[in-house]
Amino acid sequence: MLTSLAVAPIGAEAQQTAVVRGTVRDAATGQALEDARVGAQGSAHTVATDAAGRYTLTGIAAGQVVVRVQRFGYRAAADTLTLAPGDSVAADFALRPSALHMEPVVVTAGKRSQLLDQVVTSVALVQDSELARRAVNTVDEAVDKAPGVQFLNGQVNIRGSTGYVQGLGARVLLLVDGVPANQGDRGGINWDMLPVDQVERVEIVKGAGSALYGSAALGGVVNLITRDIPTGLHARVRTTGGYYANPPDTIWRFRDYIGAQEGLDVTGSYGGDAVRASLTAGGRHSDGYREQDRSDYWEVVGKGEWLPSATSHLHLIGSWASNQYQAPLLWCEHGQCDDRGQSYQPFMIDRSQAGAHTRSDKGLFAATLEHTVSPRESWLARGSWLRTDFTDFRSPTTDFGVANRYGAEMRGLVRPTAGRVVTVGAEGALSDVTSNIFHDHGQDEFAAYAESEQRLGSARMTAGARVDYIAVDGGGLSAVVSPRVGLVLPGAGGTLFWRVSAGRGFRAPSLAEQFVETALGPFTVAPNPSLGPETAWSLEVGNAAQFGTMVRTDAALFWTEASDLIEPTIQLTVDPATGATTQQIQFQNLQRARLAGLDVALYAFPFTPHLSTSLAYTLLYTREFAHDTVPAQPLAFRPRHLLTLAADYAWGGFNLGADFRYTSRFERVELYPPTDPQVAPKVLDLRAGYQRDALSVRLLVANALNYLYNLAPQTLAPVRTVTMTLTWTY
Amino acid sequence: MRRRAFAALLALVLNVACNGGLEPIPVCAKGFVGICGTVTFQGTEPDSTQAVYIVAYHTFPHSRDSLFTFQPSLLLLQKLPLDSSAAFYAVSLPAGRYEWVVAVWVKQGFTLENADSTLRETGYYRDPADASQPGVVNVSAQTEGIDFVIDFGRMHRPCSYYTPPCP
Repeated sequence: MLTSLAVAPIGAEAQQTAVVRGTVRDAATGQALEDARVGAQGSAHTVATDAAGRYTLTGIAAGQVVVRVQRFGYRAAADTLTLAPGDSVAADFALRPSALHMEPVVVTAGKRSQLLDQVVTSVALVQDSELARRAVNTVDEAVDKAPGVQFLNGQVNIRGSTGYVQGLGARVLLLVDGVPANQGDRGGINWDMLPVDQVERVEIVKGAGSALYGSAALGGVVNLITRDIPTGLHARVRTTGGYYANPPDTIWRFRDYIGAQEGLDVTGSYGGDAVRASLTAGGRHSDGYREQDRSDYWEVVGKGEWLPSATSHLHLIGSWASNQYQAPLLWCEHGQCDDRGQSYQPFMIDRSQAGAHTRSDKGLFAATLEHTVSPRESWLARGSWLRTDFTDFRSPTTDFGVANRYGAEMRGLVRPTAGRVVTVGAEGALSDVTSNIFHDHGQDEFAAYAESEQRLGSARMTAGARVDYIAVDGGGLSAVVSPRVGLVLPGAGGTLFWRVSAGRGFRAPSLAEQFVETALGPFTVAPNPSLGPETAWSLEVGNAAQFGTMVRTDAALFWTEASDLIEPTIQLTVDPATGATTQQIQFQNLQRARLAGLDVALYAFPFTPHLSTSLAYTLLYTREFAHDTVPAQPLAFRPRHLLTLAADYAWGGFNLGADFRYTSRFERVELYPPTDPQVAPKVLDLRAGYQRDALSVRLLVANALNYLYNLAPQTLAPVRTVTMTLTWTY
Repeated sequence: MRRRAFAALLALVLNVACNGGLEPIPVCAKGFVGICGTVTFQGTEPDSTQAVYIVAYHTFPHSRDSLFTFQPSLLLLQKLPLDSSAAFYAVSLPAGRYEWVVAVWVKQGFTLENADSTLRETGYYRDPADASQPGVVNVSAQTEGIDFVIDFGRMHRPCSYYTPPCP
């Protein structure tokens, strides 16, 4: 963040420091702006303004410095100050609202701060203002409506990357403040690891990100960036309450009361000159919207920062979350419950699964030390520990898995010459699992990476590569090389940017995919220890353009050729002795597959600056090429069309808005009968909000038309849910 | 122009969003061949209950040999849900004439060998004109309204219907 917020050094270096204090306000209304980011050259950190718009920058090297302020939805502002040693200088800023903001800063695409229009791949941003406006209650809800992103029963897809594999083997890497956080055993993502109130913004990098992030980043990277700790003593209380609509048809009624949900998060923080800390605790309860769908969730999140000098910054984050939930599993089909003469009961469950429930605990601890050696050199060292622990209480067996993932990373950032930035680093991760269905295994990953960006006139060219070594159970290392090249080319007038990138991504099979041995309905699931990494070459051509002050577009053509794609396959095995036929699921490396398409996003302010609208459309073509006796066919669980429309009207402290999401039917499902009812989801969300000073009230009516649909087979998606959220900030 | 385009887009969204979605599909919908109805439960379900099934006989079983000549086949039997005072049911049957549509209570530990002691008739569809007699059902397509009472307090062993009856 530092490198983008601070401009080139102006004054001579000073050994003594000064303090800059001030406020940030809306130039039009005079309203204090919370969460504006303030940074100064020479300081290793930025600070966020508090609810009163106040900030304090400490440890600023004396001399002439530039203090710069950024906030989403406003034009950035900067001021040049001359600071004497020991000075305490006031610098207030008034930001002008900017309907179109062409220069948000992202930190994920290149493992460093970059302006969005200088990034070679597509990046979608979900800012805290959008999170607040949409009044979402979970992190996956926050990510779900981003362009090109779709969730299938908790499994994230970026441009159709993953499909639906019951949570196993995500082809998307989750980062929490840059720390990898995919499960050590299943490779999936626990979206409830952090409360949504702790998330300041989400960066979604689309396409292969393995050149910097290695395995799991085959389809993209989602980085959850947590809130900065403001200076001073602060508190924040967020409480939610709501209810679920009952089934629209009486023959589907399954309870005689209205299902409710409620939650509370409380945060306290203190930010001093050298030490800052925050602690959040909270919980949620939900009755669920269908039978056997209750859940209870508790979480604690702590953050700490230590600034021993003006050039060093230590971040600590620790989170623990426990979720105890009933497992609704598959809906009831005729004969499996009191079906009332219906061929299926989407709100009820198969009685044979009655009582199934799960306890899922997850903890993440990470420490990151950043040090700025000089304006040209900085480094970062990081260590992390992720632990996931689940127990599925089901009949006839209880399954469990405990996994640890220990990670470490060293990264250096060098600017050897003007216009050139080099990022180098090394990363290692040790994963282990103890489980009755995955058994006891371990996986070691070691990697080194480097990427260089060179400015060539107005263009920027990027080239880099990463080599990963992976060993399972202490066996031989297998190496995977992931190169990437990219080019950003501004058009005339600075309102048009072309970007081109090509690279190779990969994903090592998760321990679960290699060693799972269990039963899934009528199928047995067999291990495949010889499963190898899947790889993919990806090409993307993108364009971002601004048309006047009213319209901004971002479009990208993408093309991915995947080899050895890991997909579940069904095999019929015949016992030669008895002739009995059994159906077996096994993860296998498919020969080749293709995912290609078009990703378009349009943002417009059609009538008045108070009204903002957006349209995001993804056209996806997938193909699994013919192999063995399997003919060419679409990849399973990928929709051809994904459309999201949004509109928001803001006036003073009031806000009204709506989202509409259309997803076309899957061309192919697997493991489940294609005769299962399936419709194309068309979901409308409505929202309203009011904010005055420290208090905000948000109303969200998700799935307002109570459109009943399913994405994952025999799994009803959420019905109309009305939620009220109150947030008070001190 | 922009307002019209916006209004048209909004109308399109509302139109698209307001139709479709998952809807109930009765088992007894067109195309289904079999019987459907509601059974009403009376009495206390025995603790030793393994399951209750609805089966149909083309001809009334008067001997041990004809006990397992019912439809549908053993593999396609579906348990009745017993956790409410009444239950809808739908049993797929081949087209034809059925003299006895009966609910069979199955005791825990049932095997084909001990069927005489672990099965009970616990209710059957009755002739609307003479409730003392079983009702005949002609199945050609979906046959609805085959409603009857399952009384756990009045269960009968299979041999009650044999000739000669139970010793």
